[in-house]
Amino acid sequence: MINMTYEARRQLGYRIMMAPALLLMAAFIVFPAFYAFSLSLTDDALLGFAAQESSFVGLRNFSRLFGDPLFWNSLKVTLIFVIGSAVIGQFVLGFLSALALQRQVRYKSIFNAIICLPNAVPEMVVGFLWISMFASGEYGTLNRLVAWFGVDPQQWLYTFPLLSIIIVNTWRGIAFAMILLTSGLASIPKDIYEAARVDGATDNQIFWRITVPMMMPTIFLYMFISTVTTFAIFGLVYTLSRGGPANSTEILGIYIYNQSFTAFQLGYGAAVAVVSLVVSMILGVIYVRALKVEV
Amino acid sequence: MVAVVRAAAGDVTVREYTSQRRAYLTLVLISLFCLIPFFWVVLAAFDPRASQFLQVPQDITFEHFRKVFADESGMRWVLNSVVIVGSATLLTLLFAGFGGYALSRTQAWWKRPLLYAIILVRIVPPPALIVPVYKVMLFLNEWINGVINQLTDNVEMQQQLSRMFSFIDGYLGLILIHCAMQLPLAIWIMKTFFDAIPKDYEEAAALDGASQWQTVRHVLLPLALPGFAAAGLFAFINAWGDFLMPLMFTSSPELQTLPLGMFRAFLRVDAIDYGFLTALAVIYTLPAVIAFAFARKFLTQTFSGGVKG
Repeated sequence: MINMTYEARRQLGYRIMMAPALLLMAAFIVFPAFYAFSLSLTDDALLGFAAQESSFVGLRNFSRLFGDPLFWNSLKVTLIFVIGSAVIGQFVLGFLSALALQRQVRYKSIFNAIICLPNAVPEMVVGFLWISMFASGEYGTLNRLVAWFGVDPQQWLYTFPLLSIIIVNTWRGIAFAMILLTSGLASIPKDIYEAARVDGATDNQIFWRITVPMMMPTIFLYMFISTVTTFAIFGLVYTLSRGGPANSTEILGIYIYNQSFTAFQLGYGAAVAVVSLVVSMILGVIYVRALKVEV
Repeated sequence: MVAVVRAAAGDVTVREYTSQRRAYLTLVLISLFCLIPFFWVVLAAFDPRASQFLQVPQDITFEHFRKVFADESGMRWVLNSVVIVGSATLLTLLFAGFGGYALSRTQAWWKRPLLYAIILVRIVPPPALIVPVYKVMLFLNEWINGVINQLTDNVEMQQQLSRMFSFIDGYLGLILIHCAMQLPLAIWIMKTFFDAIPKDYEEAAALDGASQWQTVRHVLLPLALPGFAAAGLFAFINAWGDFLMPLMFTSSPELQTLPLGMFRAFLRVDAIDYGFLTALAVIYTLPAVIAFAFARKFLTQTFSGGVKG
């Protein structure tokens, strides 16, 4: 220690400071992620013979997986859920709010706070609130709202389960899209707009020829973040529908949980987890490469 | 010429006016969409005849709130949540403070790979980890309980220690797993904030004879305070709202936190006490909303790491 140079001591210090965080992330995220790969090659189970002595089964879990209609259903549901809520719902409503807040409107901070409110609500409470919203019978809140338009009372979570969870997740995520897109809008130089107006451009032209192209990096960032976070959702849907009715809202996270802890097939659950890990890692690597994130 | 300019100006104000009206309409509609689900929970929490349906209370009562705190399990859920999420947040701040500082200052070969790795770790979907993490926790659990049994023969003591330090159905396990999940974002935030603090300050302190630890305490910590605030708020909000980890790693009623306690109470289909549950939901939501109000101004600063608050 005494013989070390000042610089060498500092370098050692940095490594020691990194250690606790790295240790925790390694133990609870990185190692489990790799462990999922090896588990997916076994017939491990929570109960029964395989729970004591799990054995190597090669790619059997994967061949079963790719022949399992429930897995393909889960993949499809996840895709619709991500596109419906993150790519379309949150993005459109968030962009509209960001554009509207660009105008000279009063009560900006109040609107802002209201739109941000759903984002702060814990997952369990989100499920709780919307179960009341979707309550069937003529006194359900949503049923009373649609009654104004002459629509009969619906059993929302049974008749339109996937649409219901898309609405809920859209509701929860508008704030994120709005905040990110607002910062993107603010970074567009004002004189470009003025120049366009002087040249007689219409609002539509300005939006499609200036705003949208200038916003592309921000939109790309938003799409990446919201896709990976929506892909990882569990609690929100679990508290609302637990994947039902009849697997219609069984997004990948819930499929993994159900296979592992309801059907007790840990090896098979791990195989599904591997698929979901691979998908998000591919997205992550594309993002890191494309944006060349500054570090 | 003058007429043309006037006409153009008139055109602009009309255009401004309609676009203004459209902006208000958009904001009011979206705000309504955001607000409507809250009406029920806020009204029912004070309604003596609370039900699953939205209704204007005839009377106002604080009975439901009193019940949450008088009721043993309600109070326990609140306390467990505070203890577990609070400790996880503090631990996250401690480790992310060190880690973020090291990542900001070092020029070693591992800096860049590690930063990219942290982005990738951040986007690992937690549901994909449940099986292997469960196995890791099981392993650690057996180990720690072995240690506890070695330490003391007193069964009561063993049970208490086990409650504290078990990885499954114990405080320590939940604290550590929450901390691990929040670390990538927190480290990223701290690194960004430390990047903004000039190295000269530290060098000046070092020249004046301050030790590395003194420099940290008297120079770095005060300057990095906003960073700690941001990292802590996001760690708290995310861990506080999480449902998956408590679902996976708690089974005994004494250990239940707010999300799981609420969920199980809600599943008792025969006798759902909506007054109790809505009051609980309000209590559970308030800390997160308050934290979010403070955290909002930090939101845009933390995006570059591909991370969502």
